[in-house]
Amino acid sequence: MKTVAPAELPEFFARVAEGYDLRLPVVARDGSRVLGSLDDGEPSLAGGPLLAKPTALFFPQTDELFVTGVKGRESSLAQAKQLFVVGFTPRDLLCLNFVDRFFADGLRDDIYFRRRDGAVIAAVSGFSGADGGFVPLAGGGCDLEFVFDGSDWLVFPYSQAGRSITDLLPLNAPVDALAAVTTRSAEFVNNDVAIIQAASQLLQKELVPDSFWEEIAAACILCTGCNLVCPTCTCFGVQDWRYADRLERSRMWDSCQLDGFMREAGGHNPLGTEALRTRRRIHHKLAADPVKWGEISCFLCGRCDAVCPTGIGIVAVARRMVEKFGVY
Amino acid sequence: MKRTATLCPYCGTGCMVHLLAEGGRLTGVEPVDSHPVSRGGLCVKGWNAFAFVGHPDRLTVPHVRKDGELVPAGWAEALEKVVAGIQSVQEKHGRDAIMFASSAKATNEENFLLMKLARRVFGTNNIDHCARLCHSSTVTGLAQTFGSGAMTNSIGCIEKAELIFVIGSNTTEQHPLIGSRIIKAVKNGAKLIVADNRLIRLARHAGLHLRHKNGSDVALLLAMMQVIIAEGLENRAFIDTRTEGFAGFAESVREWTPERAAEITGLSAEEIAAAARLYASAKSAMIFYSMGITQHTHGVDNVRCIAALAMLTGNIGREGTGVNPLRGQNNVQGGCDMGALPDLYSGYQKVADPLVRGKFAAAWGGALPETPGMPLTLAMNAAHAGVMKAMFIMGENPLISDPDQGHAREALQRLELLVVQDIFLTETAQLADVVLPAACYAEKDGTFTNTERRIQLLRKAVEPPGEAKADWEIICDLAAAAGYTGMKYENTAAIMAEIAALTPIYAGVSHARLEPSGLQWPCSHAGHPGTPILHTETFTRGLGRFVPVAYKLSAEAPDAEYPLVLTTGRTYFHWHTGTMTRRTHLLDREERRAFVEINPVDAAAYGIKNSDRVTLSSRRGAITVFAEITGSVPAGVLFMPFHFAEGAANVLTNNELDPESHIPEFKVAAVNIRKGL
Repeated sequence: MKTVAPAELPEFFARVAEGYDLRLPVVARDGSRVLGSLDDGEPSLAGGPLLAKPTALFFPQTDELFVTGVKGRESSLAQAKQLFVVGFTPRDLLCLNFVDRFFADGLRDDIYFRRRDGAVIAAVSGFSGADGGFVPLAGGGCDLEFVFDGSDWLVFPYSQAGRSITDLLPLNAPVDALAAVTTRSAEFVNNDVAIIQAASQLLQKELVPDSFWEEIAAACILCTGCNLVCPTCTCFGVQDWRYADRLERSRMWDSCQLDGFMREAGGHNPLGTEALRTRRRIHHKLAADPVKWGEISCFLCGRCDAVCPTGIGIVAVARRMVEKFGVY
Repeated sequence: MKRTATLCPYCGTGCMVHLLAEGGRLTGVEPVDSHPVSRGGLCVKGWNAFAFVGHPDRLTVPHVRKDGELVPAGWAEALEKVVAGIQSVQEKHGRDAIMFASSAKATNEENFLLMKLARRVFGTNNIDHCARLCHSSTVTGLAQTFGSGAMTNSIGCIEKAELIFVIGSNTTEQHPLIGSRIIKAVKNGAKLIVADNRLIRLARHAGLHLRHKNGSDVALLLAMMQVIIAEGLENRAFIDTRTEGFAGFAESVREWTPERAAEITGLSAEEIAAAARLYASAKSAMIFYSMGITQHTHGVDNVRCIAALAMLTGNIGREGTGVNPLRGQNNVQGGCDMGALPDLYSGYQKVADPLVRGKFAAAWGGALPETPGMPLTLAMNAAHAGVMKAMFIMGENPLISDPDQGHAREALQRLELLVVQDIFLTETAQLADVVLPAACYAEKDGTFTNTERRIQLLRKAVEPPGEAKADWEIICDLAAAAGYTGMKYENTAAIMAEIAALTPIYAGVSHARLEPSGLQWPCSHAGHPGTPILHTETFTRGLGRFVPVAYKLSAEAPDAEYPLVLTTGRTYFHWHTGTMTRRTHLLDREERRAFVEINPVDAAAYGIKNSDRVTLSSRRGAITVFAEITGSVPAGVLFMPFHFAEGAANVLTNNELDPESHIPEFKVAAVNIRKGL
């Protein structure tokens, strides 16, 4: 386990960036915290989850599938350096694990894995949440972890790829440096876990009436932001662009909140009302995925609640559901 | 991956976005949680704002018409043809035989330069832009009553308002990040009145929803004020110290009892009185309005009534109050601010004022025309009459957006010279003699001014396609081709420096000062922090002015032949004439075809089923579109968006204008409907 002072992080990451295509939380010029490169701003590891999902590096909003034609442009994926992504919270890692499973299942999605394979993943935890809040240890599921103990960053690897990065740090941490954070992590309770599980039970037992969804849908402005920031939303649409000398096929994020998402060519739509689509968004994560994938596919990353302009992200809706219909 | 902090190109809310690019092409959008307007959110159009930029249909080279066909040409040839064409028209028919249409989609710098090109280089005040078709009633009405035709308060005031009164604005669809803040405010205890005869989303959250008849806003508002005065709910102290003309105004509304207004509006007298009492009794009340107020032959009267209502109750000049016209386009506020208007220079300085004219003439090195120019809508009429001979249109598509398409088409076809500068080959561009390929919002620098007067930086994220250039570069090239040497700028910051030097309300603005989230005008010097709320101590004109208003009928009433009222507007998923949104996969998929909303009662009466093809006719023409049966519109009223060229609502609309603002009556036209083709 290595240690590095916050003031030394920029220099450390500058060194890392010589060997890797580094993406990490930085403060952009407009003051927002984003997952960017060192060109975009100063490193800002602490501050909790970023508004945009880190999995977008592997499954971007739009991605070229293929180009036909003799003059097709060169693939923009000719990456010279290995991708190194810092900034996954432990909950983001659960999302990443789910998305990896999803895209590997059945026919392996090579468009996803051409970006994902070989990427080095670093978690951020400790006293590094929003407003100094505590983020429990990931304890694995990534290549290395950055843990803020309140004054310094403790950095330790879980894989060979992680070790080759921690080896760049000169200072070893004291053997018991992690003790306080480990204890705190063991005691840490996220109350939202119980809420989301209770909501999942209500949905699986079909105890939530349609009128509830109509009430939620009335506040939805159909921005689709909840889907687009969700790390475990994987739906995409496909489009073809025909140029004079080539055809480009690409895919882009889709949203189950749109009428066109399930509308059939003849006009019939099994998700034909806003209430049904709002229900679908929550139901899929809390009732359908537990059956198909064995787990609730909302890992409480907090993004849809942060991005929703009217306050009907999944945790807000789950809380309202449990308040209204009780714990099953 | 390259990240660029810039602005959404759609509505006037002015949300910041981060555009992501890979390999020189846009790959996505991120919202920005530090931005005071968008606060980490975006609407569906903002989330998809990157998607049309690289579309294969983008114009990449200039085109000129040869033997009746538009064919690719070099820049030198195209610019020469434009300049020679304008000069020829002006020699034959006088310098005012050309109209310049500027663009509410272009930057402040570009609007300023086109205004300069028209006035200084080609010697005409014939410059205008689409504000003529959206908020000219506001500019006229609020200038007369307050002295400044802009939103008085800030979006951030929504959280401070005890009551919000939305009239003629489908806010969650047209200004979604403002509409969503209103929904949140209601959740947090604010009261909401919605006056709109469509069952818009905000109406579901309103304590009181007034579904008054189209075109009856004046009657509704006068009666509300009658109740307020009759019941002594007016703010006497404010009226006495801050306003003038109250006595005459009070006299003029005395006869407007709720009972009388009830007959005209279709509301009950109790509803009208309840709205009046709710509004007047709030400690702070904000009014939001938009095209439902302005796009009438009495649009200016509507605006005067709204201004009077706010003054009557002292709901202006404080946090959580104000008269808040929501500007439609991303930079329609800026287009007006920059003087892309026939009678005003930048900063609403009058062309007719010799001192102002002298200032601009000195700065630009040459005499400037004295007579105010022609509003865009009158210019189209003049073209139809064969008087206007040339048009230079930058980033507008009037063939789809102007009223009475048949009239607009004939007008454009009668021109000796039509030049269109745009990002796609629009329906209007297809009629042009010269087409100039422009960079889009993501491919240039500059500034936009949002609806709350916030001047913000637009930054270049990717290169324009092919030989396309930024509008400001093309305008400078045109000026040079015409022999004018005073329009050379290193960058858009240098243009803003000239704007600041000549425009008192922008005097303190520079690109360097606009980081991170802009400045709200007036901003009078380099240390000025900007102005979130107007009219705090005095009105811009000194005292606020009550102007008596007479109720007038809309120009066209339903009759036996055309028994239904057609009202037009936008939908949430598309933008204006669809040039960008119909080339955006998800938005296009969501709404693919032209449609009309019809109430179930009317649908039954005409034997129309959902998704039937129906033919709509008015005195101007007929179109065939798909029927959408919905209780969102009341019986007797049809709603159609104007996005779809293949079923263009503006084939039907009425080219009757407000006599003062010259805005067309897009909100009321008499039509009939039948099933089938």
